[in-house]
Amino acid sequence: MAITRRTFLKGSAVAGGTSALASFLAGGPKTLVASAQQPAAATAGEDFVPTTCWIGKQDCGMLARRINGRVVSFTGHPDHPRNVGTLCPKGVAQVMAIYDPNRVQTPLIRTNEKGKSGTWRRASWDEALTLVGQKIKEVRARDKRLLIWQKGRSKAGAFYDNAFVKASGATGLGHGAYCSDAGYRAAEYTIGPHGVLHPDFRHTKYLISWGWNVTNAGGNKFCFITWPQQLVQAKERGMKVVVIDPRLRGAGPFADEWLPIRPGTDLALALSFASVLIEKGYVDRGYLAKYTNSPYLVKEDGTFLRVDGKEQVWDPASGSAKPVGAAGVEPALEGEFTVGGAKVKTAYQLFKEHVAKSTPEWAAGVCGVPAADIRRIATELGENALIGHTVVVDGVTLPHRPVSVMAYHMAQQEQGFEAIRAMIMVFMLLGAMEAVGGVRIDFTWKPYANYEKLDQIKIKDPPYNIYLGDSKYFPINSKLPGIVAKVMQNPAKYGVDYTPEVMILHMANPLGSFASQADFIAAYKKFKFVAVIDPWLSETADYFADVVLPAATIEKYEGPLGASDQYVDATTLRVPPMKPLFQSRPEIEIYMDLCEKAGILYGKDGYLDQVNQALKLKDAYKLDLGAKPAVRDIFDRWAKSEGIAEGVAYFEKKGVKAKGAFPAKKFYGFAQSPPFNGKTHRLYGESLLRYQREMKAKGAEKVYWQDYTAFPTWRPPTKDASPAAYDLTLISYKLVEFKQSRSSFIPLLAELAPEQRLEINPKTAKAKGVKDGDMVWVESQNALTGETRKVKVRARLTEGIRPDTAGMPHHYGMWTHPSAKGQGPTANTLFFTGEGYVTNTADQSFQVQVKVWKA
Amino acid sequence: MPRYGMVIDLDRCVGCRACMEACKVENNTPQAIFWMYLFRFEEGEFPATRISFLPRPCMHCDNAPCVKVCPTGARYKRDDGLVATNADACIGSRYCVAACPYGVNSFNWKEPKANYYLDWSAPSAAQALKPVTAGAVPPYDNPDLDRKWGKEQRKIAGGGHRQGIVEKCTFCVQRVEKGLKPACVTACPVSALEFGDLDDPASAVSRRLRSDRSFRLREDFGTEPRVHYIGAARAGTGAREIEQPKGATA
Repeated sequence: MAITRRTFLKGSAVAGGTSALASFLAGGPKTLVASAQQPAAATAGEDFVPTTCWIGKQDCGMLARRINGRVVSFTGHPDHPRNVGTLCPKGVAQVMAIYDPNRVQTPLIRTNEKGKSGTWRRASWDEALTLVGQKIKEVRARDKRLLIWQKGRSKAGAFYDNAFVKASGATGLGHGAYCSDAGYRAAEYTIGPHGVLHPDFRHTKYLISWGWNVTNAGGNKFCFITWPQQLVQAKERGMKVVVIDPRLRGAGPFADEWLPIRPGTDLALALSFASVLIEKGYVDRGYLAKYTNSPYLVKEDGTFLRVDGKEQVWDPASGSAKPVGAAGVEPALEGEFTVGGAKVKTAYQLFKEHVAKSTPEWAAGVCGVPAADIRRIATELGENALIGHTVVVDGVTLPHRPVSVMAYHMAQQEQGFEAIRAMIMVFMLLGAMEAVGGVRIDFTWKPYANYEKLDQIKIKDPPYNIYLGDSKYFPINSKLPGIVAKVMQNPAKYGVDYTPEVMILHMANPLGSFASQADFIAAYKKFKFVAVIDPWLSETADYFADVVLPAATIEKYEGPLGASDQYVDATTLRVPPMKPLFQSRPEIEIYMDLCEKAGILYGKDGYLDQVNQALKLKDAYKLDLGAKPAVRDIFDRWAKSEGIAEGVAYFEKKGVKAKGAFPAKKFYGFAQSPPFNGKTHRLYGESLLRYQREMKAKGAEKVYWQDYTAFPTWRPPTKDASPAAYDLTLISYKLVEFKQSRSSFIPLLAELAPEQRLEINPKTAKAKGVKDGDMVWVESQNALTGETRKVKVRARLTEGIRPDTAGMPHHYGMWTHPSAKGQGPTANTLFFTGEGYVTNTADQSFQVQVKVWKA
Repeated sequence: MPRYGMVIDLDRCVGCRACMEACKVENNTPQAIFWMYLFRFEEGEFPATRISFLPRPCMHCDNAPCVKVCPTGARYKRDDGLVATNADACIGSRYCVAACPYGVNSFNWKEPKANYYLDWSAPSAAQALKPVTAGAVPPYDNPDLDRKWGKEQRKIAGGGHRQGIVEKCTFCVQRVEKGLKPACVTACPVSALEFGDLDDPASAVSRRLRSDRSFRLREDFGTEPRVHYIGAARAGTGAREIEQPKGATA
């Protein structure tokens, strides 16, 4: 199945040598020159206002072209590192979304019962804010845990996730557990920084594109433009791309080779790659011995050998165990030893034994990928890793390992945490984590608090909080709203002694964008009061809002927003290109007013105080805790506090503040002194095994603890226990035309991708008597509860998907907007949440067994 | 006099259709009319499947069949190579639609102002938007399109989109005359599209044509297109179009 069309530079025999790269991060080998130009004003009444895209997550810089103050188009901001003058279809199309008369035009108060489509009366802002503010005040006075703040996406974390949640004491819930949070947890726990996995594109020569939907979605940290730009440049330098994905469409023409893997088996493939690397000796022993816990001695009970609380390594010179870090000791990487009469092995020795049985032949049976391909790809990884090679960057000699992986939404499977951990281990063997050309997690080397926290969790006895934090169920915990929905339906079952009463929904539409819809409908009936802050009437608002507060879209000051492309540091704001349309208002104003009504705006620990802290304002620029400021004034203070003398006017005029290239010292974990700031990479997850034992001891069932293992361990996913009639695995994915569940109603975008579809292989379709364009029923089955769910959707045949897999994008399924009607169902009506369909870290899986028949 | 042309790098194209969308907004094309169209193709059988993309603007042919068949001279070739449509002279014969081998012409069967996706003249929309848009339909209406351009001073930039006449890609004449590149070129996230003077050896289009092998669509027709393609990611003869937009007739 090799489809190589481009020249591929095979790993050359330079291992062990050193070469220098000129002008590294400050420019480097850029082959892509943006076509953008600064437009010249030539039409009467024309001007250009710099602003920031409101649709996506990477906040691309834009110029709003205005005619007599009316915005007529958005084009990319030429100086913004993330999009350098370009724009994606969503960014372009948002000009129509702004003017959409179907936006919520005034505050709305519900006039009918909840749980069905709403009827509304228009209300004044004061009436609506007073109502919501009083509810917040009343519920906080009784018990702050009764207040939930649920966001879909927030575009100014300092003001919303941070200041409002802290000032109100609400339980803050995000959407990350539907996205990639299991990957974040895996990377934080294993290496330290906050992110999933992406390449050092300027230097990567061999890339595993693992589930990366490159032609449709961004991957780690970005929503679209930046990664494809860097990919194209890397390909033009000769980088090879191996795609591991049940579907080809994501990588499209950028696949030099495609391994169509069976969904849910990525962990098995990663373990097999590791087994081949070890068998063939592609192991960076120096890195493993020095910077990871590979040489730590592990007792037969699976815990580290400790003397006076200190982990031990084996010192071959003295033939004895010595404390980790002892001077002059070059620890043994592998082997079995006896210390004080007890048998111990190094963690690496155990890893070798753990992966030895994961041969390519075994993995071929699990993953549906030929063994020869697995062996060859692993070998190519090993060859191209150039183990032993170094390179001088900014005067610092660093390991050069030009092999990498983009893995982001790989986390969206039942073993997502373990699968990403296993992928990290493949690249740990190669010494490629944070090496030049290797695997990166964040834009710079920045260890995150979770590196320690996730290792030191104290599992509690009930009662638990609503998302089961520190519980025997999900000790590592990404706060999955689906789990909250499950718990709300039956708090006693999970040892929870309260039910939240008031929810504030911020630009979130759980009924559309979160799996599973049925659980949210059942749970949200229990909220006594729901306030929605959103520019549109979401489906969740339609069914459950008591009050809807219309937010502005792009017509507001918002931020601060990062603008780094991973190599260049920059920051920006969203600047309003026009006044808020209709009666909509900027969210920051809404929160200030809500806090005032709820009595939590002023004084110490109030919202303004929290904003001061969240924005890290220097004393001279701190907000007066006794007066409500204008939003523009807050950003003026922030900009000045950041050393930008012109204040907010700088952004109003220029749009983006570039701060130059990151120096290697800030960029690479290896360039720190000591490397990685002394954070030992965890090949062996001792604390995970400890959690498993504590969970068992506290009576948790196997479904919760089975993936808490010292090494990632493959098992058949729960969904595989569905009856054989459910013969296809349904996966979901993203289309480039839409962002999450809040854009399929934008008519310009809906025109490009008008209808939901079930993608199936023509062979599968033929066997089921289904032709391209036929309407089919898709029925999913929960392997643990037996529950089934079904939807009707149009079948689209494609040779770019495995015959045992069916695919459905996760957009569509909305009903409140006239442009969304008739688009077909969302895949989120078919997925299940809760046991068997979430990771051990409370992150959602988007895989379920389905059967398909002609409607 | 520049000799304008476009170069499209198929090895860079990620198939995102930002070009189509940028064209739609800049040129205010009505619903289901695409001056720029991006084909998404699939070919081969699993697992030897290939996916490819093909952006297709007007080819602005030097030997343009549409110019020859136009009964009124509304379709004409400018000195700089742009194939233009004078909206004031078009009688809607649709001869150009039949003559063009690339399918780039669209006929306005509907009244364009009533074909902009949402009902902008409904009272709830018109009242709420009027303070901002002064009644413009669509609200992002680009005033440049209704202006007269070139030494001939004709309405060739979409001409305000009228019912009963034909329209097509203009290479964004209203931008080119200001020294800007077409909207599709500017938007492209990966610089797969390039525009400029083919006679200027220093232009980006000339540089890219020098460094890569290029081809044009159906050169055997003798139409002499001004749009050149480079790159190996070209669809084969057995390719099937996938993911068509709504109402697309391309």
